[in-house]
Amino acid sequence: MLLFPLAALGRGFSADAVLLHVTGSVMNLTSNQQAPLPPTGTILALAWATLAALAVTLAGAWQRQRWFWVTGLLTFGLATAAVVVLGGALDDQTKRVLADTTLRPGAKRQLGNFYASGGMNLGLFLPALAGLIAAGAGLSVRPRVWQAFNRMRSLLVPAAAIGLAVLVGAVVVLIVQPSVNQSGTPLSLWGAWLAKSDLVYFVYSTLFAPVTALNPLLDSLKLATPLIFTGLSVAFAFRTGLFNIGAPGQLTMGAIAAMLVGVYGPPSLGYGLLALSVLAAAAGGALWGAIPGLLKARFGSSEVINTIMLNYIASSVLVFLIGSDSFPFLGREYPQPLKAEGSNPQSELLNGEAQLRPLLEVLNVGQNGQVALSIGLLVALAAFVIVRLLVRKNRSLIALAAAAALGALTWRIGIPVTVTGSQLNGAFLIALLCAAGFGMLMWRTAAGYALRAVGLSPKAAEYGGISVAKNTILAMTIAGMFAGLAGTHYVNGGALDEYRLKQNMPVNVGFDGIAVALMGQSTPAGVVASSVLFGTIDTGAVSVTTKLAKVNSDIVTVLKALIVLFIAAGGFLSRRVTAPPPPALVAAASRHETPATIDLSKPLTPQPNVAQASEDITREGNK
Amino acid sequence: MDGLFAQILTTAFLATFIRSVVPLLLTALGGLFSERSGVVNIALEGLIIFGALAAAVSTQLLTPSLGQAAPWVGWLAGMLVGGLIAWIHAVLSIKYRADQVISGTAINLLATGVPAVVLTALYGVSNESPKVEYALPLWGAGELRFSPPVFFAFLAVAITWYVMYRTPYGLRLRATGEQPGAAASMGVNVRRMRYSAVILSGVLAGTAGAFLSIGNLDSYVRNISAGAGFIALAALIFGQWKPLGVLGATLLFGLLQALSIVLGGTNLLPSTLVQALPYLITILALIFTGRSRAPKALGRPYDG
Repeated sequence: MLLFPLAALGRGFSADAVLLHVTGSVMNLTSNQQAPLPPTGTILALAWATLAALAVTLAGAWQRQRWFWVTGLLTFGLATAAVVVLGGALDDQTKRVLADTTLRPGAKRQLGNFYASGGMNLGLFLPALAGLIAAGAGLSVRPRVWQAFNRMRSLLVPAAAIGLAVLVGAVVVLIVQPSVNQSGTPLSLWGAWLAKSDLVYFVYSTLFAPVTALNPLLDSLKLATPLIFTGLSVAFAFRTGLFNIGAPGQLTMGAIAAMLVGVYGPPSLGYGLLALSVLAAAAGGALWGAIPGLLKARFGSSEVINTIMLNYIASSVLVFLIGSDSFPFLGREYPQPLKAEGSNPQSELLNGEAQLRPLLEVLNVGQNGQVALSIGLLVALAAFVIVRLLVRKNRSLIALAAAAALGALTWRIGIPVTVTGSQLNGAFLIALLCAAGFGMLMWRTAAGYALRAVGLSPKAAEYGGISVAKNTILAMTIAGMFAGLAGTHYVNGGALDEYRLKQNMPVNVGFDGIAVALMGQSTPAGVVASSVLFGTIDTGAVSVTTKLAKVNSDIVTVLKALIVLFIAAGGFLSRRVTAPPPPALVAAASRHETPATIDLSKPLTPQPNVAQASEDITREGNK
Repeated sequence: MDGLFAQILTTAFLATFIRSVVPLLLTALGGLFSERSGVVNIALEGLIIFGALAAAVSTQLLTPSLGQAAPWVGWLAGMLVGGLIAWIHAVLSIKYRADQVISGTAINLLATGVPAVVLTALYGVSNESPKVEYALPLWGAGELRFSPPVFFAFLAVAITWYVMYRTPYGLRLRATGEQPGAAASMGVNVRRMRYSAVILSGVLAGTAGAFLSIGNLDSYVRNISAGAGFIALAALIFGQWKPLGVLGATLLFGLLQALSIVLGGTNLLPSTLVQALPYLITILALIFTGRSRAPKALGRPYDG
């Protein structure tokens, strides 16, 4: 707390800030030296109280007292109170500026933003976090809390990986970005450190900011949509012990297929054309995924290398189809029929019937040009969850019926919102359906059981009568299908600003799918959650890029890579921490005995190690 | 068609051919060390990129003080950075028993982000470094003038063969990849063997990167490797994890790359599709290669 600034009392456009330190000293780095600042007395008092509570907590934790969770919670509460008081003070300033009639509109907006961009900083955030962790650690002495935490154990590795990646990213920002100082006076060493650490907080708070407002949130969900598809694709292959790095290529083929049907299919089909186009995307991706699956099952060639090679081939095909107006063949030039006229490398526009309209348009039940989002979907979802918890027999079916009925009833009721339009489209719903389908198939059917068995132990699966070769092909085909469906987001959903296939389609989301799948521990819910997280920081990266000179969206690419790196290392956590305690140990502990030797070196709920399983599948499949 | 054959039978084509072979050969030899020790190294692609970046940037930064010696130091820097990044892969897959394919992929993903961050910090542009004043010198005569890494690459084949089959180190390395338990029982330090092999693969891939950025071109550009690391990995499999086999495989793949470069300049086939030919051939080549010769412990973390 002493090391970092407590809060930013105001912030200019290029991240220049007025920093408050816990000692009460204020450092103004903005060009506006005369800006009146909000009163800081209460905030400082609360900050000192937080510091005291934190010290007591640490002392208590050190001596393993039973009460330290109380002070931990108190630390969190005091820090939160300081943040609330600070927010109130900044709000007052913003209101004062708005009420001020002497200012020109431009200056008014600028000054209003100046206060609105202020807020807490590392000096308050870190103690709040520490207090919360201490409270959790203190409470975990109690068996019930311990059991609750135990169930969340699988979140440990992703959480640790994110934490480490954020830490390394912070160091990168510290090195790369010089401190922003527009005050004209040079900084002391101490001042430079405060300014730099403020930038770290600024970068991360901007990256994660999109969750706090509706419009950026919708943008985040839009960017998350293709990640859900490709994440599911990679996760599905992981579960079968295969590594699908081919999502970019499968996505490309899916998009091409969706475009072919959407542009050249008969419009007389109506919405059947849309369905056909979506199916085509799935088929295109599935085909591109089936090839490496087949090659692996039949010839034992590595799916890792083959999928990568197919990525390059797919990108060549895309450029060939829509990149230029004509192509040479055996010495003669032929026109390229699929490319739209004009200088842009893109296909023709899709038929209106094949377009997935923006969700805002679909969910809008407001009249007279007002935007009001229907609450039907949310009600249906809530009804589904509640009814499913209450009813005992046939609960899924009854819950589904209740959800459908309530959803239809409340469809017309809307909440008025102010949004500026968003390209979040129906592909998002398809993605959620895919996630649900993934879960059903993998954990509720015999086929899914076979797929997982191949992933965990190809040898045992073969011995148990499960065909390794057949399941290899099946897994890669379905994985390809998921990735191919991501094409619907770009082509049918118009995520590239127009309802057509374009050459600049960001196929790299296929590689992001690897990070998403690993973060989500190859479970559908995990994939959706981590996609939304990645979509959020992708959206936040855009505003970081506009505000800082040396930090841009590439830092997000690095963060994602670091997350993969740290997850691969198991978050550098010991298996003793990440694996659930073996039943023998729990039983012994409840009888207050020392258990016999238990081998903790192997994970007890294993996920396939793809490097190893891949070799084994080859050996089994080739017998 | 006649024009095409006439083009192929020139020394210019021979030069293109050799230049296509070199990065594949160096990288595949690197992969040979790593995989013969039992560690899958899919990170080769990323290692090339890191090597290329380090070579170009350090040459550019050192030129004012070192002058014409700068590219040699740049080459060294490429090797060092390649080795350092490979060391990360080694720590993850040996010490932390990580999934080797995933840890390699993490390195490859890093290689798509880190160069942009470094270049933005140093030069304010994200996709290429400024041209270096002195690239590595060219040795040879006429059109057949090559930078030193080219000669080094072919020398490396002989050295690798000698090390693998005629030195105690090579014997221990091969034993580590086949039966780490048996090797350990004979007193071989399996972990140390694997560390050294993976770092060596980084050094060789870093050299390939240095060749691409300051031996072949005179700056680092985004996507400089164009999948060479992955093709090298395929060549390693096609060459059955043997030095001479790897030489043969990379000569074949290099020839196809050079052909596609020449073919792309003619109007026989669409150049966009011709660019995909080497990748297609790689897939076909893998079909005709069994996996039976793979080191038996490949991809398995060592528990001892």
